[in-house]
Amino acid sequence: MSINIRILIFIVGLLIFIMILELVRKRKFREELSVIWLIIGVVIILSSFADLIIDPIARKLGIYYPPALVILILSFFLISAILYFSIVVSDLKTKNKELIQKIALMEYKLNQAYKKDEGA
Amino acid sequence: MKSYLIIIPAYNEENYIAKVLIDVKKATSYADVLVVSDGSNDNTVEIAKQMGVMILDIPCNIGYGGAVQTGFRFATEYGYDHVITIDGDAQHDPYSARNLIDMMSSEEADVVIGSRFLEGTYKMGIARKIGSWIFSVIARLYTKTRFTDPTSGFQLLNRRVFSYLSNADNYPLDYPDVNIIMALHKMKFKVVESPVKMLEKPGGKSIHSGLAPLFYVVRMFLAILMVLIRKEN
Repeated sequence: MSINIRILIFIVGLLIFIMILELVRKRKFREELSVIWLIIGVVIILSSFADLIIDPIARKLGIYYPPALVILILSFFLISAILYFSIVVSDLKTKNKELIQKIALMEYKLNQAYKKDEGA
Repeated sequence: MKSYLIIIPAYNEENYIAKVLIDVKKATSYADVLVVSDGSNDNTVEIAKQMGVMILDIPCNIGYGGAVQTGFRFATEYGYDHVITIDGDAQHDPYSARNLIDMMSSEEADVVIGSRFLEGTYKMGIARKIGSWIFSVIARLYTKTRFTDPTSGFQLLNRRVFSYLSNADNYPLDYPDVNIIMALHKMKFKVVESPVKMLEKPGGKSIHSGLAPLFYVVRMFLAILMVLIRKEN
């Protein structure tokens, strides 16, 4: 890997890492949800030196084109991240439904109470 | 308060809701009537208010199943003994509710599903037909009962069942199908079918069109699988 590419990947990873930290600092991104993206940032930073470890491993696994292994590992992290967020959305959807139903039922009770007041 | 509650889920049904309510009131004087507006943004709620029925106005659209479940919660909270669900688009003949009630007492059932097919007056698309057929075979193998119209929105449920279904995860947000029948069977509830008369819906649109039927079939297979492998307490 040429030194320029190493530097480029390193900077990209660092930028992602700093961007996430900044979003968390501004409270635009919840800490617990940001962790998985910080990990991805670190993985990208590390991948700028990855060939030193990856190349021997890839050769051992019988992969002719070592960068394919990098992409495989990155895909694994990205898919994990997406899956994690799908679970969060699913959970939110359930909670959202519960809230919406409660609101509808409470609004009914409130209207009944108003009507009673007006009648009395 | 009466012991029967009619639940009418309605999403933007301003064209039909008045007719539905007039018919329902005429046909089922033994029941209280509750309209559950599923985030309607037309005049459904106003029209229902003028008709003097009870209304739950869900602030946003959460799906047919979510609306019906809100009705179940209402019925559980206010202590109704039986619930009858009727669609808000005037496709069910409310006089047929009597068939459901008679069937429940003669069969000692917990749930009676009003079937459009036992009297043979209803058509649907080919994709849906094949899907329905496969699911009904699975349901028949599992429950040892034949269900001709598991997606029917015309149902009678007793308190044990609707209070069970009103729990958060026991009812789907979209459309309940054979998966719910199988889940109820698993919980040892008795589910039977009864013929009901369907009214021809003027200019009605199907709930499933385009790629949706394929997605629906996959989704339903998943739901059925979950019923089979989940451990219920």
